[in-house]
Amino acid sequence: MMSRATARSKDAPTREMIVFTGLGVIWLAVAGLVGLDTGAKGVTLFALGTALGTVFLSFQYGFASGWRNFLQSGNMTGLASHFLLAALCAVLFIPAGTLGISAAGSLAPISLSLFIGAFAFGIGMQLANGCGSGVLFSFGGGSGRMLMALPFFVLGSLLGSLWLPSVLAWGQLDPIQIGGGLTPVLRTLVNLLLLVGASFIFWQAGRRRGQTMPRKLVLGSLIIAALCWAVFLVSGHPWGVTFGFTLWGAKLASAVGFDIASHEFWQWPGPARALAHSVLADNSSLMDIGMLIGAGLWAAFSGAFYKQAWPNQRQLLAAAIGGLLMGVGARFAFGCNIGAFLAGTASGSLHGWIWFAMAMGGSWVGIKLRPHLGFGEK
Amino acid sequence: MMTSYLTPKSIFIAIVVVFIGLALVDHLQSPTLQSTGAPADLGNACAPCGAPCK
Repeated sequence: MMSRATARSKDAPTREMIVFTGLGVIWLAVAGLVGLDTGAKGVTLFALGTALGTVFLSFQYGFASGWRNFLQSGNMTGLASHFLLAALCAVLFIPAGTLGISAAGSLAPISLSLFIGAFAFGIGMQLANGCGSGVLFSFGGGSGRMLMALPFFVLGSLLGSLWLPSVLAWGQLDPIQIGGGLTPVLRTLVNLLLLVGASFIFWQAGRRRGQTMPRKLVLGSLIIAALCWAVFLVSGHPWGVTFGFTLWGAKLASAVGFDIASHEFWQWPGPARALAHSVLADNSSLMDIGMLIGAGLWAAFSGAFYKQAWPNQRQLLAAAIGGLLMGVGARFAFGCNIGAFLAGTASGSLHGWIWFAMAMGGSWVGIKLRPHLGFGEK
Repeated sequence: MMTSYLTPKSIFIAIVVVFIGLALVDHLQSPTLQSTGAPADLGNACAPCGAPCK
């Protein structure tokens, strides 16, 4: 008689084929509706989101794990690749206006909320075991932990949007461009020097400790940079993840009767426009849905979907707390690793570097908390 | 032997399907747009989250 385990393993390819086909049908349906509404631009952004989900999951390109490896074991390769990615993006983002490209980088105020939010985000991403993009692509890939983290991320970012105007009033300076008084060419060079320099310092320090940069990380950085360029050229802004979560929260809250539209954040031009229209008409939300489906397609295709282990209850609690902290933190700090750190540093904005320093501090605290929430010591 | 279909994975798939369904319902009930937001449509916001610059 065939054992249950054997029967289950024989069923797996069929089940994963069903998931793959189902997600493929959903992708086509969403792409069709997006095409009818926002045309080729919308479909392109949806496809780019899908590609990013596939690439992030297949390359296991993680920010949270890279930073944890650095803080726990002094492994610098993840950080070297993240700054390499930012440098590659900066080549296009900073001189875009001079090159005649109708797109603008990501600048944000130097506010008290930035410091608080990035620190909280750092704690959250270690507790949830993933950052903004990590939660999304791991969720799409069938992660049980992210099944808990994502709804709390959405809730946290909705709360953050309601609180942000008051927290901004605590104190803020105008956005600061690094090399702001210089010509665009010099400004690009100064920022490239900083980003390439940071990548080189981490890479060299790692080499001295006998660490070699995995080719997978370098290749992943190159492909993700190319996709970020495409998003920038098509959407007119650097790629951002977490505003989509905020919008989903606001839409759900509005649907159950909360008067979200009357809150100050939702009367600002961008959020007001997003709330009044479809979740498939906002760049961030549309790309998030694409990323989720893209990761799911890859997980089903590669056979990883049913191999994901389910976390214990304490880890699920950690994921919920982490999601909540990341949600509030992302709104206070104008984004996550993608929208604030990557887009900010690659746009030559000081806020991206402050975000990095504060989130790194928060990550250190989060790592100290992990053993108390069901994670192993490592 | 009876097989339970209420597994964590099936719950996960159900949530994804419901989520995508809600997104499609929201899309069909919303006014149409010609394009996703360009920087000018977002009040020339400094960051993709749409927060206005001071």
